[in-house]
Amino acid sequence: MNESDKWDRMLRQALAADEEPGERLNESLIQRYKERTGMKRGIRKKWSAGALAAVLALAVSVTAYAATQVFSSKEVAERLGEKALAGAFDSADAIEIGRTETSGGYEVTLHGIVSGAGLREIDGPSGISPDRTYAVVSIARQDGSPMPDTSDSEYGQDPFFVSPLVKGLKPWQVNIFTMNGGHAEFVENGVAYRLIECDGVEMFADRGVYLAVSSGSSFFRKEAFAYDERTGEIAPNRDYPGAALLFDLPLDQAKADPAKAETYLRELLKEPSSDAAPKATGEEKPVAAGDGAGSDQPPDSTGDAEADLAKQIEWLHSRIPEGTVIEESVQEVGYDDKGNALYDYDGWQVAIPLEESFPEGLTGDWQVAGFSGDDAGYKVLQFSRDEQGVVKGRILLLN
Amino acid sequence: MEIEELSDLVKKHGKSIYGFCRKLAANQADTDDLYQETFLTAMEKRDQLDANRNPKGFLLSIAVRLRRNHRRKFAWRQRIAPTADLGDAADRLRHPGEETPEEAVLSRELRGKIQAAADGLNDKLKIPLYLYYTADLSVEEIASALRIPVGTVKSRLHQARKTMKERLEAESL
Repeated sequence: MNESDKWDRMLRQALAADEEPGERLNESLIQRYKERTGMKRGIRKKWSAGALAAVLALAVSVTAYAATQVFSSKEVAERLGEKALAGAFDSADAIEIGRTETSGGYEVTLHGIVSGAGLREIDGPSGISPDRTYAVVSIARQDGSPMPDTSDSEYGQDPFFVSPLVKGLKPWQVNIFTMNGGHAEFVENGVAYRLIECDGVEMFADRGVYLAVSSGSSFFRKEAFAYDERTGEIAPNRDYPGAALLFDLPLDQAKADPAKAETYLRELLKEPSSDAAPKATGEEKPVAAGDGAGSDQPPDSTGDAEADLAKQIEWLHSRIPEGTVIEESVQEVGYDDKGNALYDYDGWQVAIPLEESFPEGLTGDWQVAGFSGDDAGYKVLQFSRDEQGVVKGRILLLN
Repeated sequence: MEIEELSDLVKKHGKSIYGFCRKLAANQADTDDLYQETFLTAMEKRDQLDANRNPKGFLLSIAVRLRRNHRRKFAWRQRIAPTADLGDAADRLRHPGEETPEEAVLSRELRGKIQAAADGLNDKLKIPLYLYYTADLSVEEIASALRIPVGTVKSRLHQARKTMKERLEAESL
């Protein structure tokens, strides 16, 4: 057996699935399925538009404006390292809401929302897009006990779903997951702050857009919200044992774009074909090949994966001279007790062995430590050591 | 009938799907959610599931997509290079001949180090790696689930192994 086979065997052992779903989890899955399919059929008969208003009033027991708002949307974005976005939250086009509601033992505040015009000025290397919507929500416990810190083992044990929902569209089909969304979160003084983003919702302004928050799952749960297929109304379910509430988003109806919304929904609701040709996705940037270097587009695939990968790396290297340095990312590194350089910026937490990265006498040049990429483009992490031995890290955008 | 279908699906593939979700999710609550949502989504797409000759691959592709949509942009921030002490893991890697494969029941520590190195990979490398080693899919099945060419899967698996090995060795220095 050669070394490669041994390594392969070791990986198979180390990475084997070592946990199984418990019986209770599977029972709850079956139960959820029963409820989901049962509810789907029952809602139309059970709820009328009039009853929905009553349900909404009962489920959302208290509505008030936040008396003490610890962080503004801008400050939350700043704390998450989204400086450009923080500026957008400060713009005239952002809607600072500051509305607090309680449900299921939680106090939820919708701080603010920004999309479209408010983001146009910062469109570019920041990765922020005017075609997206960004919103800030905070969640606290009603009894005053702190939300678990992100470093606590309790963190995430009562997960939350925070998502825009659109009136008239099935919420299990059109929500933050299907709208290419994501979130970032931190906990401060016992309050969890979450910045969410997804494809822009302004185009749906004429339909009515909600911001939904529910506890008990990171995903949309039909147990938490009722959808009336006849009226298109969505309402929190008063029997839901956790938090379930909706905020109406005060979007400017003049910004609705029914034609764009139609096209968007057609694409979003399209069932993926099981025999579709390979295509690029958020994680699957086009594989670089061909005459990549010097071009501003990743070159086409040649079909030879190894060659493609090499050419992609070559292409990425060729983009570095035109890359944009994220100024805030330029930081002097720290060191651990083994002498590794530690770099920590905006989620990049990297430990690099110095001797390997900077052979004796190598100073001045920026050395590439790694590339990464997503929908917003490619980035490269670099390190440099000056003549005094000071090592700095930085991140460049390679758009 | 549908319930039986779901039970059967869970019975046949639950363990693989759960193991895969556990590798990708940050904690058990997220694992449970991703696991359940994978099956619930699969049931909503039953027509495709029935037509698909590889239900396990179909389920795994749903799990990958759900997780990707959940994280997308912010996935960046989760890509953390392993900073744990990987010292003797690399020693073991450098001298693989000292143990026969039959005896090579990995120590808990070494297993942890290898898992940390895998966790530190970016999604492009990590997902095929877990599909291959955790979910036991073949290269062809991974290509079909991720809708990428077989050659790309091979290349990513190769790159994942190489990167992990380098990191484990570098950490021991």
